[in-house]
This record gives sequence, C-alpha cells and structure tokens, in this order.
Amino acid sequence: MSEQLVLDGVSLSFGGLTVLNSVSFSVRAGELFALIGPNGAGKTSVFNCISGIYRPKGDIRYRGRSLLGLAPHRVAALGVGRTFQHGELVPQMTVGDNLMIARHTRIATTPWGELLGLPAARREEERHRAAVDEVIRFVEIEAYRDTPVGALPFGLQKIVGFARALAAEPTLLLLDEPSAGLTREEREDLAYFILKIRDRLDMAMVWIEHDMQMVADLADRIHVLDYGRSLAEGPPETVLKDEAVIRAYLGSP
Amino acid sequence: MSEAARRPLLRTALLAAAGLVLLLLPLATTPLLLDLGCQVLLACIGALSLMLLTGFAGQVSLGHAGLLAAGAFTVGILVKEATAPFWVTLPAAAIAGALLGLLFGLPSLRLRALYLAVSSLALHFIVIYLGGEYETLRGLSTGIMVDPPRLFGHELYGGRAWYILLLVVAMAVLLACRNLVRSRTGRAWAAIRAHETVAAALGIAVARHKLLAFVISSAFTALAGGLFAYYRGFVSIEAFSLYLSIQYVAMIIIGGMGSLGGAILGALFVTLFPYGIEAALSTLPHADRYAGAMFASNYAAFGLVMIFFLVFEPQGLIGLWRRWRPASAKAGRP
Repeated sequence: MSEQLVLDGVSLSFGGLTVLNSVSFSVRAGELFALIGPNGAGKTSVFNCISGIYRPKGDIRYRGRSLLGLAPHRVAALGVGRTFQHGELVPQMTVGDNLMIARHTRIATTPWGELLGLPAARREEERHRAAVDEVIRFVEIEAYRDTPVGALPFGLQKIVGFARALAAEPTLLLLDEPSAGLTREEREDLAYFILKIRDRLDMAMVWIEHDMQMVADLADRIHVLDYGRSLAEGPPETVLKDEAVIRAYLGSP
Repeated sequence: MSEAARRPLLRTALLAAAGLVLLLLPLATTPLLLDLGCQVLLACIGALSLMLLTGFAGQVSLGHAGLLAAGAFTVGILVKEATAPFWVTLPAAAIAGALLGLLFGLPSLRLRALYLAVSSLALHFIVIYLGGEYETLRGLSTGIMVDPPRLFGHELYGGRAWYILLLVVAMAVLLACRNLVRSRTGRAWAAIRAHETVAAALGIAVARHKLLAFVISSAFTALAGGLFAYYRGFVSIEAFSLYLSIQYVAMIIIGGMGSLGGAILGALFVTLFPYGIEAALSTLPHADRYAGAMFASNYAAFGLVMIFFLVFEPQGLIGLWRRWRPASAKAGRP
C-alpha cells in the first residue's frame, strides 16, 4: 500500500536539549500506527512537528508533499486532523459548535456573507451542520449535541475531542492519548470507534497510547520512542516482546 | 415537536413586541429621556463592536475612544471641507475605522493581554493628536460644528428622528454581530480565544482572523463615532478621553464577556449609571452641599461597581439574568 506519511530523519532540539534525534517512520493508508514510549520520549513533539507547530530538521512528507515550513493551518487544510491530550475544546460552546470549528477549512463562506446573513451563507452553514450531525451520530453522542462542552464529564469531553478531529474529515488522523483518563467502558467505546474508522474510511492513523493492552489488541504496527530516538518498530507481537522496549518501560534491572 | 415549534414562535413574538415598544417609545416621553435613549443606543453600537473584539475574539483594546474619535473626525472633516452628504461621510468613517483597525491589529500578532492593551493606547493618542492638530490648523479651537444631515430631502433633526435612526442602526449592528458570531468567523474567534495553537492546528489562520476582528470591530466603532458627531452636531477631541475607553471596557465586563446581550445591558447600565448616582445624591438631605463632589462620587461609585462585578459576578449582568430568569424559561433547554 502507498505510504501516506513519511518522517525522514526528523530531529528537534530546544537550545541544547535534544527532543527528537533522527526519528524515521512511515504510515500507510488504512493503517493504525501506534507511537509508544515512556513519558518525555518525544511522542507529542512528533505530532507538533507534523502539525507545523515545531520546526524540526529532516523531512516530513505527506502524500509526497513536504510539510516542513508550512504554517499549522495549512497542514490542517491538507487533511491532517488531530486530537489533543487534554481535549482543548472551547468550553462555553456546544458540542455541535465545537465540531463545526473543525470544519473551518471546508466551509466556504465569506465574512461579508456571514455578516449579512446571505442565503448562500446560511445554506453552506446548514450543509456543514448536517455533516457534523453525522459525526455526532457516529460516536453516539446525539444527546449532548447542544450541551456546552464545559458541562460534560472529562471522559465525554475526550470523545468530543475525538469527534472534532473526525469532523474535519481528515485523511491522516493524529490521536494524542485519546484513552487517557477514560474509564474501561469508555476505552472500549473508543477502541470500537477507532476500528470502525480504520475499516470504513481507510484513513491513516498515528496513535499515541499508554494502554499497552489496547495497543497490543488494536495496532497494526508499533513504533517505540525513547529519549527522542527510535527504539523499535514492527507488529505488536514482536515489538512488545523486544528486550530494549521492555527495558525502556521498566528500567534496566 | 409542537412544543419545540411553538417556542421560537413565542420568542419571535416577544422580540417583535419589544421592538414595537422601543419604536413607539419616543411618542410618549420627554426630550431628556429621548436624549438618554439616543446615548444608550450609541453606547450599544460601541459596546457591541468592542464585545466582538474582546468578548469573542479575545483581543484587548484601550483604543476604543480613539476609534470613536476617528469616526467622528472623519465625518466632521468631510462635512466641513467638502460638505459631503450623510451617504458619503458614514461609509467613509467606517472605512477609516477599518483601516485603523487593520493597522492597530498588527501588534496583536505578537502581543497579548496587557501588552496589547498598552499598544492600543498608541492608537488613542495618535488619533487625538491628529484631531487636535486639525482643530488648531483650521482655527477651530473649540471643535468642528457639524450640520444636521439631510435624509430623503428631510433634515434629520430632533430627538425623535435620531432615536429612530439610531435604533435602526443599533439593531442592524446587533444582527450583523449575531450573524458573525454564529458562523465560521465567529467560531474561529472563539477557538483563537480559547487556545491559539490548537486553533491553528484545526486549520484556522490565526493572524488573518485576529486582524479581521480588529477591522470589523473598528469599522463599527468608527461608524458609531460618526453618528455621534452628527447627533451632537459638534466634534472635539475633548469628548474622547481615555476615560471613555475605560467606560466601554466597563460596559462589556459589567454586561458579561462573550455575550451580545451583555454588551447591550452593559451599555444601558454604564450610560444611565451617572444619572442614577446623581438622582440618588439629590435625595440626600442638604444635597446642594454635595454638588461639588458629584464628579468624585460618580467616579468612586463607578469604580466600586467595576470591582464588584470583577470579583463577584465575572459573568456580568447577563450572568445574573441567566441565573435569575424564571424557571419556565430555563426548562426545556438542554
């Protein structure tokens, strides 16, 4: 299968501190690619490099096009969606409106048309509301569509954050610890949604996760980071048995 | 279904009734009250524009009086130098405001909060300086006289006519603001206000939308300034002190950040507040003895009210209303 996302020798340092040291991997369409490693290994930094928030050395290509030097909003417009560790939603806005934010690059209205409430602008808004409603149905949170996000419990907010990333209809989805802070039941729901997306939408997914059971059960391939270096890569059954990986997680005996 | 269908209908009916009352108000009132009404409506336009910028897009500004002055002077100068009509001067004021907004929005791309507020002071002083220079240059030491505008062959003069005009403009601005905050642009502002980096990663061009907030807000503000010039018939830099900027900031804080209804309540409150204090003081025994302390008591009371809202009711008047409104209005809301 074609490689969607390619990281080629990505290095990042802040001052004298090396955060990423020549990280390379590639992700294919329809693949659930887990990125694991101990705290501080640089997992979220990898996402921030892909998103254009950090400016690393090396190269990051998405569908053959280099993302390096692109502003974050341009990267998003290319179809790169992501979630954030702490949700980072707009608390006073409803679930529906938060999801509408993610459709920003898709909604074709002008400030003039919006300000004057022109029929074309209203129709466009309706069209995207319908698309958002579909995502809301997909993750089964219809009951909360018009509830301000700040009034929802943490677990639900994480699901909303996940739904927001989906609402952008990305072709590459970056999931930053989507299961952190979720109950077991919520994790099972999340796992179900992730598999449903992979099977139905043929999306490339990079997934930062600490729950090793979930990773072992779901991931197609795993890439392990430790202190900003690539430690191992491969299918779960081999990577999770790798001695270097076990040492990185448990510390050397 | 029928219940859901009936509620918006009731809402529309209530709004229509309120609109009718507002329209008919000038038929049964005194010139003093009409003037107050006009002041409130002008304040509403100004407060709505500042709310757009600060309450929705999250950009702090102390340049509001400067922008009002820019609009007023654009009208004043165009009337004085070119006897330009209403239809030219007001759009010109809005365009002048938009350009100034673009220019003074630029620091927002680098600065935040207090630093941004201080940079917006530059706008204030530059506009006031230029206005003062114009007054001196033309020998108009006290200010520019602005003749009443002509509209469809009629001279727009008197409290009633102005009340109706300002009501229409304020309603239009309210509607425009409402449309904006409920659309792509308004949602982008909310996202930027919540978290800039996240907004960018969601595909929002942060710089562009910040500047857009400054441009739109400043255009409306300058429009209010232009209307003020016509309404007062007189433009002078004296009318646009820094205290005016602070009053507008007070309006959106007291009214309730992030709410258009809050901007209107805040405008109402801050405009009427000094009259209330005056009335309260005059009921005291030996009121004439305090007459000299009127200004001081006004400032002091205003400060106390500000502190009260900042500490005890950060959601402002609109927050109070949301908490105290009848249970029936709350029920049925998700």
